[in-house]
Amino acid sequence: MMRIDGGTYTLSDRNLVLDIEDGFELSGQRCRYILFGANGSGKTSFLEKILIPALDSNGVDFLYIGQDIRNQLYTLRALLATMGLSVINADERELLRVWIANSPTARVLVMDEFDKFFSDVDFIFQWTNAVIQTCFVVTHHDQPTSRFDSENAGRVCRVRFELTGQDGEVKRVRIRQEKP
Amino acid sequence: MTMLKLGALALMTGWFFWLFVFGPLYSHLIAQGSALAAVLLWSNLRFGRRETLSLLKFCLPFVAFLLAFGLIFHFTRLLGRQDWLKDTTVKCLVFPSSLTFLKIMLSYVTYLDILRLPLSMNRRIEMITVKSAFQKGARTLKRFSWYLNTYSGLKSRHRIRYAMTKYACLIIALYLYLYQEIENSNRLLKNRYRHLG
Repeated sequence: MMRIDGGTYTLSDRNLVLDIEDGFELSGQRCRYILFGANGSGKTSFLEKILIPALDSNGVDFLYIGQDIRNQLYTLRALLATMGLSVINADERELLRVWIANSPTARVLVMDEFDKFFSDVDFIFQWTNAVIQTCFVVTHHDQPTSRFDSENAGRVCRVRFELTGQDGEVKRVRIRQEKP
Repeated sequence: MTMLKLGALALMTGWFFWLFVFGPLYSHLIAQGSALAAVLLWSNLRFGRRETLSLLKFCLPFVAFLLAFGLIFHFTRLLGRQDWLKDTTVKCLVFPSSLTFLKIMLSYVTYLDILRLPLSMNRRIEMITVKSAFQKGARTLKRFSWYLNTYSGLKSRHRIRYAMTKYACLIIALYLYLYQEIENSNRLLKNRYRHLG
């Protein structure tokens, strides 16, 4: 499908320099990347400034569930309403379910600290299992967790975000995939 | 002092609208253009370039619609009139300038000003929650736009259709957000006031 190469990425608007040691491969095979690290280590910035633009420019359909999911749900409700779907009384889970069910071409799932809002995260993987091949999951824990390991995960790869230095306001972060 | 300040703001708003929206300078293109330029400069100084451009971007679809209809009316000579283009141009200038001017005026009204108004506490709480919600809404608008850009369900081969649908989603999301935010803030403030009083 596509690949995000390793290298140094400078995000000036976020005062971040990301050193990606190993690239990210998005092939047709199932894969789940679990991204973890301390607060402020650039996980969300990686998703929003590197991954999502790369998915967009490569024409890959994806589902992105952001960190501020409570705000995002307003946009989901609006989107589904303009698609003619009745979601006026739908709660959070129902909104997500309807959205996922109406996104049959999505191949990548990106979730940012989803485990902060839902104690049980398996439902999202069950709902997306039929179509999603690659998952990028940011956990709000600063250590890897087995919560995102499941039967249908495919290859699970833990990705550590580690602050390696700071020059004034600019932080340098190393992104490294841990060997299983 | 507060009443003096709010009175002055209300007077200035009334004066601007009388002069440029309902009154003598409405149909003067140069005056309208100058008013828009002055208001945008003031907005730039008050809120910064990014926020000013963001507001202009927000106005763009409305202005585009005005222009489109104006052109249709002009070429079809609707009602036999031949001044549709000029009238449309005026409207395209008046809308962003009056909206920006109103935003600037309202930004000078602080929470303390509202608390000092000679109104019942309930009325003051309502005004505070509306101000707070609109301030949050302005910041949240950008985030909503970001999310909508990620939804493949919105994407369409037709750019105009995509832009219109996205804009509709943005307005609906903003409305839902403001409604919820005003309700929650209002309930929270009234509850706290009840227990403090």
